[in-house]
Amino acid sequence: MLFVELIVKGLVYGCMYAMMAVGLTLVYGLLRILHIAHAGVFALGAYMVVTVANATGSLAAGFLVALVVSALAGMAIYRLAYQPILGHPPFVPMVVSIGLFIVMQEAFRMIFGAYGIAFDTNPWYVATISPGGITFNYVEIAMVIASVVLLLGFGLFAGLTRAGIAWRATVTDPQMATSFGVDPVRVRYLNFMFGSALAGIAGGLVGLLNNYVEPTMGGLVSYKALAIIVLGGLGSVRGTLIASLILGVVESFGTIYLADVFDRDAIGFLFLIVVLMVRPQGLLGRK
Amino acid sequence: MQKKFIAAAAMAGILFAGSASAQIKIGFHAPQSGPAAADGKSSTIGAEIARDWINEKGGVNGQKIELVIYDDQNKPDQSVPIANKLIGQDKVVAAVSGSYSGPTHAAATVFQNAHIPYISAYGVHPDITKEGNWAFRGVQLGQPQGKGAAKFIADKFGKTAKVAMITMNNDFGQSIADGFKEEAPKLGLTIVKEYTFGLGERQFGPIVASVKADAPDVIYAIGYYFVGGPLVAQVRSGGLKQPIVAAQAFDSMKLMEIAKDAAEGIYIVGGMDRGRTTPADFQPFLAEFKKRAGYDAEAVAANCYSSVMLMADAMKRAGSTDPAKVREALAATKNFPMLTGPLGYFNSVGELYSPLEVTQVKNGQFVGVTVIDDQSILAPPK
Repeated sequence: MLFVELIVKGLVYGCMYAMMAVGLTLVYGLLRILHIAHAGVFALGAYMVVTVANATGSLAAGFLVALVVSALAGMAIYRLAYQPILGHPPFVPMVVSIGLFIVMQEAFRMIFGAYGIAFDTNPWYVATISPGGITFNYVEIAMVIASVVLLLGFGLFAGLTRAGIAWRATVTDPQMATSFGVDPVRVRYLNFMFGSALAGIAGGLVGLLNNYVEPTMGGLVSYKALAIIVLGGLGSVRGTLIASLILGVVESFGTIYLADVFDRDAIGFLFLIVVLMVRPQGLLGRK
Repeated sequence: MQKKFIAAAAMAGILFAGSASAQIKIGFHAPQSGPAAADGKSSTIGAEIARDWINEKGGVNGQKIELVIYDDQNKPDQSVPIANKLIGQDKVVAAVSGSYSGPTHAAATVFQNAHIPYISAYGVHPDITKEGNWAFRGVQLGQPQGKGAAKFIADKFGKTAKVAMITMNNDFGQSIADGFKEEAPKLGLTIVKEYTFGLGERQFGPIVASVKADAPDVIYAIGYYFVGGPLVAQVRSGGLKQPIVAAQAFDSMKLMEIAKDAAEGIYIVGGMDRGRTTPADFQPFLAEFKKRAGYDAEAVAANCYSSVMLMADAMKRAGSTDPAKVREALAATKNFPMLTGPLGYFNSVGELYSPLEVTQVKNGQFVGVTVIDDQSILAPPK
């Protein structure tokens, strides 16, 4: 029973990682930038949800604002921070990104206070259902539903619509796509818009799950998401999704059976190292 | 040329201003930015209230005290240069750390070498006072806190209680856990399992599932309130009804905000009974802190307030600000009224003896339950 419960809990956390990591892998696939500041957008989304929900009493309004603000923030980050330095070697945007992430964390601290903010009312957080003897609170359920719906929607969009095909074409071969009339800059905006909105929603859900939104909440997920996209094979969305779920489950078991030896956060990286020794290109990456 | 002159004049002005003030300078460092900034803010406000109240009552030996405050970002590589600056440039005669163990331990070495008395207001790493005889601690070590928790559980829930431990894996958590694990078997308690988690952890689903399978009588949780809030909420929403006994750092009104109703009934060993009327400055402090900070005071603020008060008291008793005399007076402290409980004495390595208060969350407030005052358990280790 415990065994099943650990797998299920791990998959729930895997969904959370997936929502965060997909945006990161999309940016890497398109621009070859390790977009660390993505974790700042994640925290921004959480702050939007908590402040709007506490002010208006409506979680829906909170998530709507978070969706819009995170999407805009993502596009602004691309326009203001990355576009001017795209011609430089990859470590330059990475350093910019790390700097930006630190600035965002400190900005949250100054604007929203050093102490975190809890939701005034958070009914989902304590409400639970126990199908098959495994207890979930409603936020966990919402996390799974949100990630499945959003990622499925993204899959359909990328597979079936014109803009989605242009997007995939640009990721595969930017020059060829451009010569077929795809505007790469528009694709990049789309990319940041979607990835950031997803991260913002994930941030809001994690805020609800912890009932606590804090300036540094992006820190832990940022490096886990980095591990996930490397594990999945940099730039591979499918690999990222699989890696997210695997990491969730591995951590879940590790917390119980390996915690005397390793920190839970170290377990993910240990797993990463082991996988990369066997498959240096990641789970689904191309050589 | 002119720029140089202005710079030189400004420099001279600063130096002159520094030497002309007849104030007693006490150094203070706390994390005011970065992840630990919240505690840093509380601790700084606590120290400032002490400074202001001392000065309102005429200061120390006729001189006003001045706190020279720096932001250490909770980093040892910041606290060392800060300590050097406090000693070399600011010429402080004493210092108080309003920071965590890491930066405090690093700075303690510098103050030791410079022979400046130093109080760690709430940093609990055992090594802080091990550098020599110039560092003191304004809070109980983790070890006696853990032993006290074992005693409380044995007294309250029976000597054969089975306990599941959920421990934060940093020096704070480990030192408390060590004390608990040493004392619990002596009292007859069984530790069914110990789970550990990192400072950044907020998702306890797997741990809750496993604790459920262990079916302990009591859950003993060691961590900070911001981890503790999500932890107890997830323990309760996971269907576990066992009593939760928690460590000192759960003591924050934020705990109730985060955990909501799940916080009800939690016991905190080393907590602060907010309804207490002793010492006389306790209730006024709570009110003043709330006024300045906009939120309710927690133990770290009280610790820093009391540490500054203690330092000033030692200067008064020494009748001097000579660091050596202040150190001697500090070491000789007896029955000083700290806000967190009376400081009985300092042992030979600068660790204090103080009874341990146990509080319980009732209707969203920390209410006193009992006080553990047992030399055989709480005597500070040497």
